Amino acid sequence: MEFNFTEDQILLRETVRDFLTGECSLDHVRALWESESARSPEFWQKFSEIGVPGLLIPEAFGGLGMTEIDFVGVMVEVGRAALAEPVVSTAFVAAPLIRDCEDKALAALWLPKIATGEAIVAVAQPTSPLVGDVHIADLVIARSGDSLYAIPASEVTATAQRSNDPSQKLSTIEFTPSSEWKIASGEAADRLEAMALDRGALACAAQQLGACDQLITMSVEYTSQRKQFGVPIGSFQAVKHQVANLKVALEYARSHVERAAHSVAIDAPTRSVDVSMAKISAGEAALKAAETSLQVHGAIGYTWEQDLHVWMRRAWTLDLAWGETAWHRARLSSALFEDTLPTENFGYVPSLA
Amino acid sequence: MKVMVCLKQVPHQDARLDVNSDGTWIQEDNIKFEINSYDTYAIEEALRLKDAGDAEVVVVSIGPDRVTQALRTALGMGADRAVHVNDAAAQGADALGTAKILAAVAKEEGADVIFTGLMADDDNASAIPPMVAELLDMPSATGVTATEISEASIKVERELEGGALEVVELPKPCLIAIQTGANQVRYASLKGIMQAKKKPVDVKTLADLGVADSAGHAHNKATINKISVPAKGDTAEILEGSTDEIVTQLVGKIKELGLL
Repeated sequence: MEFNFTEDQILLRETVRDFLTGECSLDHVRALWESESARSPEFWQKFSEIGVPGLLIPEAFGGLGMTEIDFVGVMVEVGRAALAEPVVSTAFVAAPLIRDCEDKALAALWLPKIATGEAIVAVAQPTSPLVGDVHIADLVIARSGDSLYAIPASEVTATAQRSNDPSQKLSTIEFTPSSEWKIASGEAADRLEAMALDRGALACAAQQLGACDQLITMSVEYTSQRKQFGVPIGSFQAVKHQVANLKVALEYARSHVERAAHSVAIDAPTRSVDVSMAKISAGEAALKAAETSLQVHGAIGYTWEQDLHVWMRRAWTLDLAWGETAWHRARLSSALFEDTLPTENFGYVPSLA
Repeated sequence: MKVMVCLKQVPHQDARLDVNSDGTWIQEDNIKFEINSYDTYAIEEALRLKDAGDAEVVVVSIGPDRVTQALRTALGMGADRAVHVNDAAAQGADALGTAKILAAVAKEEGADVIFTGLMADDDNASAIPPMVAELLDMPSATGVTATEISEASIKVERELEGGALEVVELPKPCLIAIQTGANQVRYASLKGIMQAKKKPVDVKTLADLGVADSAGHAHNKATINKISVPAKGDTAEILEGSTDEIVTQLVGKIKELGLL
């Protein structure tokens, strides 16, 4: 069996990496922090022109008809570039959710718009009361009772909430359900919502790999240049072993993330377990990378001007997105020790601190 | 109109470069490669001609199997066809040998316009574009920053020393070597990359092109004897003390060197 990515998948990933290197510089990321929306419609248009939002959309609707296995490497690059545009909600979660629901009119209306970058979709999910990017969304997918709704954004009341990452725009939402927006009920809604949650968690885990890799790269560069006692600090075991351990954690997590991408793509029976394993291990690697990078950078790592915190903040917020580590551990525990795939929220009550 | 673009795949700008064991080139194993940056502007210029009218864009490269990726990227950007000269005898060919191979491809293709980059990121030689033009007996312009095409000719703007610009008109067929920054290079789209799989890539050998007896490393006129990384100097001396003391020391050093 061939476990390597194909040449096409590698080329897709490198194309997106080149694009993000050119179009999503740190200056761009930081400039968006200062803007009201923290988003760039011009960037999203260019990103759509190279085809990223349409990756999981069938060719009949203007997409590329690809799978999560093709997309996962792209999400790693999104994390490496600290790109905060709504790739997860719109392209990785909403597009396949709309594709898979039975409302064909909804697919015909929205999928072409998503593929061309004309539409942004925000998605609410059960592990958090916070929804990202409602402020720029055209459509919001959210649950009420036993049904799932695709609500025009103008019909949703959003209340902005704070985030420790200036690139994140989070809101709590309220809406009055209407039958005209209902896209699934009962088991169908449960199935779509569960898949959406797994897709979102997988996309975050892949981004965590990218953020972790970037933090390692920055740490290696810094410790190779910064000298103490006449030699680079990276030559001291106390420093280099810490950074080497990050690489071990990254590669351990990478195998989980790639396995989870395969499981989501084929809707494997172990899908949810694989996704939780991926989210836990990628989260641990990214958080550890954030902590260690700060240590090896020393005081300069605490400064606003040093770029380290761009990825540290991403590591922190991605860990909380689409099921924080504790939630995924609980889900994993349920599967391992009770031999049941979870069907409920483990008594976890999302709330705002 | 047929437009040919010559591409070279070079080590990625972020690749760590080490000299190989015999000291004549870099160690190419396990490093990433990319399209020569100058050539990306040449591709873009060709694709703009295609966008503007009826042109077929053929990208050509010489090298081992890894070169396929560069050609696929160019096809993903919008080129129509690719020619890959994949022949062990062509590896390590000098500038003239490489020019002979490219000229043979251009002759076979019947190219009306040939675009190249001004030089290659790895050897900075700038030798091949005029050689190809000479071998094909066609006019050429180098350092081109803008082009304007008409039915029978191409008017180009080229960079001269001191920031001056020269405007030249070349009858077709001709060769144009593009300077970086001449245009805004487009990205390959993901859709383009997937469609590129269906676009033809003709693989040629030197024998197919009729240059086996004149091109390739066995026929090199120039050989690389040695490449090396410049030795790090350790002659820097940091003067210490108050400003007055440092100035006194500095003046003394300058006098020692006989510069005052």
